[in-house]
Amino acid sequence: MTAAPGMRDLAHRLLTYEAGAGKTSEPMESPTLRVYEKLRQSLGEFVGVTGFELLASRALTLARPEAPGLSAVRVAADGSIQGLGEIETQIDMNKDPAGEGGIILIAGLLGLLRIFLGEALTLSLLRNEWPGEAIDDRNSVHGRKA
Amino acid sequence: MSTQDKVKINKLPTGVPGLDEIVGGGLPEFSFNIIAGAPGSGKTTLAHQFVFANATPERPALYFTVLGESAIKMLRYQQQYKFFDPAMLPDSIRFINLSQVVLEKDLGAVLEQITKEVEKANPAVVVVDSFRTMVRKPESDMDLQSFIQRLALFLASWQATTFLIGEYAEEELRDNPIFTVADGLFWLRQTAERNSIVRKLQIIKLRGQDSVPGLHTFRITDAGVQAFSRTFGLTARKRNPPSDRRLCFGIPELDKMLGGGVREGDSLLVAGSSGTGKSVLATQFIAEGIRQGEPGIVAVFEERPQAYAERAASLGLDLETPQKDGKLTILYLRPLDLSVDETMHSILDAVQKIGAKRLVIDSLAGFEMALSPGFRADFRESLYRMIFALTGIGVTILSTVEVDESFTEFPFSTYSISFLTDDIVRLRYVSIDGQLRKIMVVIKMRGGNHAKDIREYEITSKGVVILGKRLINYQGLISGIPVHSGRSAQEEEPSHDSETNNQT
Repeated sequence: MTAAPGMRDLAHRLLTYEAGAGKTSEPMESPTLRVYEKLRQSLGEFVGVTGFELLASRALTLARPEAPGLSAVRVAADGSIQGLGEIETQIDMNKDPAGEGGIILIAGLLGLLRIFLGEALTLSLLRNEWPGEAIDDRNSVHGRKA
Repeated sequence: MSTQDKVKINKLPTGVPGLDEIVGGGLPEFSFNIIAGAPGSGKTTLAHQFVFANATPERPALYFTVLGESAIKMLRYQQQYKFFDPAMLPDSIRFINLSQVVLEKDLGAVLEQITKEVEKANPAVVVVDSFRTMVRKPESDMDLQSFIQRLALFLASWQATTFLIGEYAEEELRDNPIFTVADGLFWLRQTAERNSIVRKLQIIKLRGQDSVPGLHTFRITDAGVQAFSRTFGLTARKRNPPSDRRLCFGIPELDKMLGGGVREGDSLLVAGSSGTGKSVLATQFIAEGIRQGEPGIVAVFEERPQAYAERAASLGLDLETPQKDGKLTILYLRPLDLSVDETMHSILDAVQKIGAKRLVIDSLAGFEMALSPGFRADFRESLYRMIFALTGIGVTILSTVEVDESFTEFPFSTYSISFLTDDIVRLRYVSIDGQLRKIMVVIKMRGGNHAKDIREYEITSKGVVILGKRLINYQGLISGIPVHSGRSAQEEEPSHDSETNNQT
């Protein structure tokens, strides 16, 4: 299943933001992993560890047909993701800082949130983790600029 | 100790329309409350309304979810309500899932987790939903009691107003430490009555405040929970002193029979069988009020406002213009599952909005049918409360009621509600000279004079018109089958109208 364009844009912006933020931090961590971990922390607080693990597993299942590289990736019982780092080391981060597989996975996760919680509440929750410029209204399905 | 020395307990808005009045002005700040009831009774929605009404970024609300409804689905459904503002999450309202700690650890760890989050957020409001699932398997009663004591003490010390939500049966009220510790206990009930659902709310206890006792109807709509106080929100209002002012029908002969009109603040019952002109009289009463500058409300149950206005127009009475001018409201109250309290709420809103002086309820039979079957059993009691409340604020009420026509009896109402009314006018068919004609008589006027005369009337294109003098040539008129007395018109006695006095 292909994630909605609005969610792909939003995922791309979050990953790009984290790629930029990652350059200043000590360990070179995958932007996808950074976005994923932030989502795990904030969403895990209210949906619980199991709740997040199930959402992430569903997003991963939906993302695999579009990004076969994710087939080796697994979601652990505590909701953490395993095997993503290995895939992303194979990607040229300078050419593709966000990573297509990562975008698809995160877009899928955001898409599930939007399905369950709606766009307004999803964006409200994201604003707690990312600054406004990373979550621009242009990412809104209703508010996207042509 | 003077009142100045006493601690002032701040009252927080409940966010639930009608509930503030029931709880005595608002929920006591820092209180420790339980919302109990069966699944689907509206516990979570009520708590959400309180949270959205009180949370701020500076003093947020912490909403702990436990094993019951999953948080993601709860938010999915709750955001359908109008009060739900997504922008308040997560700065003002934070949802925290405690499932893991409840499943894997003991109550001590749960308390530790709550303590940690409360100390971090400094919340004004704390909700635990569902508390019942958290304490379903305590290691012992003492553990549970100790846990609740410590939780209540901790949350009060941190100046948080708390709601614990739980699915409890009423049999559990006794000997349960949770209910002993709680400052407030809100019980939500939902019962099926034939094909309708009846929801009722009871404040079983609320420390430090005068709440309105008894069962209060509530409804859950897209605006959330809405409560309807048994006292209709009029507890603080003083009753108007009795008035001697008379309100006319604009039918001179009838007004004369009534001793000048209906006394202001009275409840008048117009009883008669189908087609006797009850609604026509009611319409003339309202129209005359508007002509006299007295705004009015008509509550109709059997026909739509447009049809009601059109029927009035056929009598030469314009109800369209006063509606446009804000002098008249015709309320069509959605049939089938209303409670009297909801109806009352609608009527009161309308009365207050236009400053109504006259109210017509057309008809009581329609009103009863519009109610949920579960409320019909309480119809008379509810009607009494409603009439008492409305007349108390100076509204004059005319209710119509259909009675089965009998040629052996002369009933005033099939509802046995005549005790609710100050005044009764009875209309009936009577067989005279091979015609089915109509007669009218004033049965009672509380505290006032009225005529004893039985008068014949007709319904014309101008409404009710009273014909000639009283009918003296017949005996047994109220039986409907009178016999000619043989008296001639020359033997006619003086009319026993209000001037000759008949005081009841």
